Amino acid sequence: MSKTVLDLRGRKVAVAEDGRGDPLVYLHGFADVHAVAGDFQPFHLRLCETARVVAPAHPGCAESDELTDGCGIDDVVFHYLEVFDALGLARFDLVGHCVGGWIAAELAVRHPERVRRLALIGASGLFVSGAPVGDVFMHSQPERGVEIATLRRLLFADEHAAAGLRFFPSARGDIEEEMRRYQMLRFSSFVGFKPPYFYNRALAGRLYRAAMPAAVIWGAADRMVPRAHGEAYVGGLPGAEGLTLIAGAGHSAPLEAPDATADALLNFLALAQHAGKRAQRG
Amino acid sequence: MSKPVRLYCWHFMSYPYLPDDFDTRYDSGWVTVPNCLWDGEKSRGLYQEYIDQLAYADEIGFDGMVLNEHHQNIYGLMPSPNLIAAALAQKTRHGKIVILGNLLPLHLNPLRMAEEYAMLDNMSDGRLIAGFAPGSGPETFNYDVPSAPSREQFWEAVDLIQRAWTEDGPFAWEGRHYPLRYVNPWPRPTQRPHPPVWIPSSRSTETLVNIARRGYCYFLSSRSHGSETAKSQAQFARILEEHGDRFDPFRMGILMSAHVGESDAQARAEAKEGVWYFLKNCLKGHLRREGRMLTAGPGIPYIPPAEFRSYLKFSDPTAPLLGDAADWIDLDRSQSIIVGGPDTVYRRILDIVEHAKCGHLLIQFHMGNMPDTLVRNSMKLFIDEVAPRLKQASAKLFARHFPEMERSAEMAQ
Repeated sequence: MSKTVLDLRGRKVAVAEDGRGDPLVYLHGFADVHAVAGDFQPFHLRLCETARVVAPAHPGCAESDELTDGCGIDDVVFHYLEVFDALGLARFDLVGHCVGGWIAAELAVRHPERVRRLALIGASGLFVSGAPVGDVFMHSQPERGVEIATLRRLLFADEHAAAGLRFFPSARGDIEEEMRRYQMLRFSSFVGFKPPYFYNRALAGRLYRAAMPAAVIWGAADRMVPRAHGEAYVGGLPGAEGLTLIAGAGHSAPLEAPDATADALLNFLALAQHAGKRAQRG
Repeated sequence: MSKPVRLYCWHFMSYPYLPDDFDTRYDSGWVTVPNCLWDGEKSRGLYQEYIDQLAYADEIGFDGMVLNEHHQNIYGLMPSPNLIAAALAQKTRHGKIVILGNLLPLHLNPLRMAEEYAMLDNMSDGRLIAGFAPGSGPETFNYDVPSAPSREQFWEAVDLIQRAWTEDGPFAWEGRHYPLRYVNPWPRPTQRPHPPVWIPSSRSTETLVNIARRGYCYFLSSRSHGSETAKSQAQFARILEEHGDRFDPFRMGILMSAHVGESDAQARAEAKEGVWYFLKNCLKGHLRREGRMLTAGPGIPYIPPAEFRSYLKFSDPTAPLLGDAADWIDLDRSQSIIVGGPDTVYRRILDIVEHAKCGHLLIQFHMGNMPDTLVRNSMKLFIDEVAPRLKQASAKLFARHFPEMERSAEMAQ
């Protein structure tokens, strides 16, 4: 894996990159910020088998600078346009997880011409009445000084899952890992603290513009972003055929079920490839 | 001839009718504490009781009364301290009315705060001390205020208010958060150029610099006192000097709680229930390890990353907090809640003042579910038997440490 730090007119953006093939931009979520700041996890490595995976760290995360002149969702979308331009990425597959999925959806409705295929995994971003996104901020506040079991319960189907215990331990752990979580929370609080809480009410009505082939993949036991959000994405994205559920996984499907999640994603990319070729031939 | 400490009576207005098993059944006294626990029948007259206690403080000779803003908790039933201040403006004639403070980012527009404070200053004939605070964790959760940018928003609001009070209107405000075409509040405050401004803060350098730069008074928002309090004073003094200013005791205030009884033994016996109701219930969710602490931490990520890193490095997450005090020995160690006969309370408060070199003492007398008569007896004993000695000793102390204070103290009024 190579790590580079882009300089966007004085603003640093950390980008992790690996694999060969067509470019696939991966926008990380809350639980897999470590995969971008540290080492790719098995899920990300699987994607590298068939694609050139380009994974920038959100503003404020890893070595990326915070956005100083506003950091709402529109600012972040514009930030990524600049990142893609700097990387020379004209058109690419776009995969986003959690808040990264929200950003991916916002990019796709604004610039559908740049997004070849879109995949959302447990993506926030939509307003779904009666099914609010879980309060990751409240649950990041420890009980008895260090206990964050309820945060793990929000992010993982099984609070004792190895990935959860490793990246979200109920103890003062490695300071670097705590800082990664803190930076991701800070970024999330800029872009998605309330109001509104991780959503843009206008997004649902704009999804029709993102007509590229789309996959919506959800941990079957996602307690952070309820499944109703996945169903709403499927309902709004013209290129989405249905909701793909990952059995046994929660919100952090890429960490909890790396192979099943990667299989779902790679299957979609392969099928969409054939479909695209058939369409070209036809 | 130097000035002695000023003594203020702080009332938080806690909810006193929780069930006995509250601590075992509920994980927090803040934000999520279910409001079905509010007993409407028992609570009739509660605000009047608390307002009357503050009016009593004014009557017996405290230098002022202190209020602050809290939401959705049992610790402080004052979502709007300005309403209580309006009542006090009518019921009292002497003391300062200190609001510490309005939580600016929670309100739609700071102009409203400029207007309400100006009204209160007029209604009290210039007795208002205007506090502004950004709010911390619980308020962030309560009011859906974006926490990371709220500091920037806060200082813009403060500057807008100060300018609205001091500059002739109408003028346009070109702020990022509160752009306004016409700023022109009626009334203007009674005190000119504006009421004294106090800003609560822990020990954030950034905040202290912002306070120093504007010539405001720093209120140390810590409930415990020890070497950290002295460090805060020294740090603020150093920052003032860097800004061409000079520290004097009336540029800084601190908070403590006290209960005075006839003797140490009697004071402890009569205060015990109220003190531990306060520690176990009111501080649960705030300054207790038990339950989920909402006041500070990673879920309220307004602290810049570098500061958070040093917090992680130097803090011990398992260390007990004030609300974890199990007995009087623990409690005495925290130098936060001082319970004793007049001699003990005098000696211990003077000790804090000697270290903190701070002139504004904001003292909480009503704790938890303390009955009215107990609170009043304690306040009266404090004024009769503690305050005179404290004033005398502190005047001498300040004269020794701050020979040039007289002039600057007058300026800070």
